Amino acid sequence: MADPRQRPRRGQGELEALVLSALREADGPATAGWVQERLGGDLAYTTVITILTRLLGKGAVTRERVGRSFAWTPASDQAGLAARKMRKVLDSESDREAVLASFVTGLDPDDERLLRDLLDQAHGEGED
Amino acid sequence: MGVFVFLPLVLPLTAWPVARLAEQHLHPRTATRLLTVLAAVLALCSTVCLGLVMVVGTAQLPGNPLPDGWSDPEVRAAVPYDEVVGKAAIPALCAVVVACARALWRHARVRRRAHRALAGLPGTEVAVLPDAVPYAYALPGGGRGGRRGRVVVTTALLDRLGPAERRALFAHERAHLAARHDRFLLAVQLAARANPFLRPLRTAVAYTAERWADEEAARAVGSRRTVARAIGTAALVSRGTPVPTLAGLAAPGPVPRRVAALLGPAPAVRTWPPAFTSVGLAAWGAAAGTAVSAMSSANSAVTMVLILRAATPL
Repeated sequence: MADPRQRPRRGQGELEALVLSALREADGPATAGWVQERLGGDLAYTTVITILTRLLGKGAVTRERVGRSFAWTPASDQAGLAARKMRKVLDSESDREAVLASFVTGLDPDDERLLRDLLDQAHGEGED
Repeated sequence: MGVFVFLPLVLPLTAWPVARLAEQHLHPRTATRLLTVLAAVLALCSTVCLGLVMVVGTAQLPGNPLPDGWSDPEVRAAVPYDEVVGKAAIPALCAVVVACARALWRHARVRRRAHRALAGLPGTEVAVLPDAVPYAYALPGGGRGGRRGRVVVTTALLDRLGPAERRALFAHERAHLAARHDRFLLAVQLAARANPFLRPLRTAVAYTAERWADEEAARAVGSRRTVARAIGTAALVSRGTPVPTLAGLAAPGPVPRRVAALLGPAPAVRTWPPAFTSVGLAAWGAAAGTAVSAMSSANSAVTMVLILRAATPL
């Protein structure tokens, strides 16, 4: 998925996605050098290491020591990585109602009982 | 001007009846727009008057940077000068400015972080995230870089919904994005920060915006019952925290009310409620309160400018 077109600046998330997708193309664990090569030498070796370490912190990759370096294995795909990041945003932002209109809010026990009654009634009256 | 400068601070109370009645008696689109406009105008007038009272209060403080003429006894007699209120207005206005700035900043931050979280995914409108926690959001676009709005939904939620209910869910979230409900919500959030008396309007708009999206979804999928089922099912599998309400007021929460509204008849589309009904009277009351508030603050501002200009040695 290495994109040969040069773009002016890439966001952090995009770089992480690039590295992760390159890693997923490897058969089994790959080294940072392999990932760098796979990306067409677009990124510096240290950048690749930094991004891999960041992905490790997010639980998106795992690593094992092979000789003097690490071999990296993807733990999840990009959608999984996005899901984890989104959960982090949702968990850390308590005041998010104005931005993210949630489909439903939580229910207290009374609401839940009332809701089940309403839905039973809706089912009882048949489909439309 | 006398008492007029203080009126806009308490006139938001005139909007309480309509905030309470609009959600049951008006079309949700009308209710959302009406309440947002009321909240925005009332908040603006209240802040202007708070600013005027603050200028008067500041002019009396020793060592203030304002022209000396402004604290002249004659000016003091002409403006609504009250030592305690004038000084209290200074921290009050600072609190309003800080609270609004914080709300705006957090709004931008949540949006930026959420968009960044989705950066690695293909740029489709719907982003499906593999997650065991069921949730769905409409993430508004805009901001720096002009990103498009996206619908974020997890596999856990989609798995529990049937095909028709999924369509209802997507239609609901798309309605949020298409009508830019985030702007209404931000406006009432800022208004509630500017004057705490406007908080009931914020709660009401948060609810009517959801109802608006529900009605749009019902129109899109052609069945109110399907939307009701989608909301009910999603709420029962979500483990979100209940919205904070005053304990003791055992009114049903927003989700059962939305489902009940969808199982009832479709709301009539009107631009203004008929007079001589409770909601009509409440709407007219709020409109009158808002008009008085606007006139009072305009009158006070003009009077103050004239007095202070006369008192400023040029």
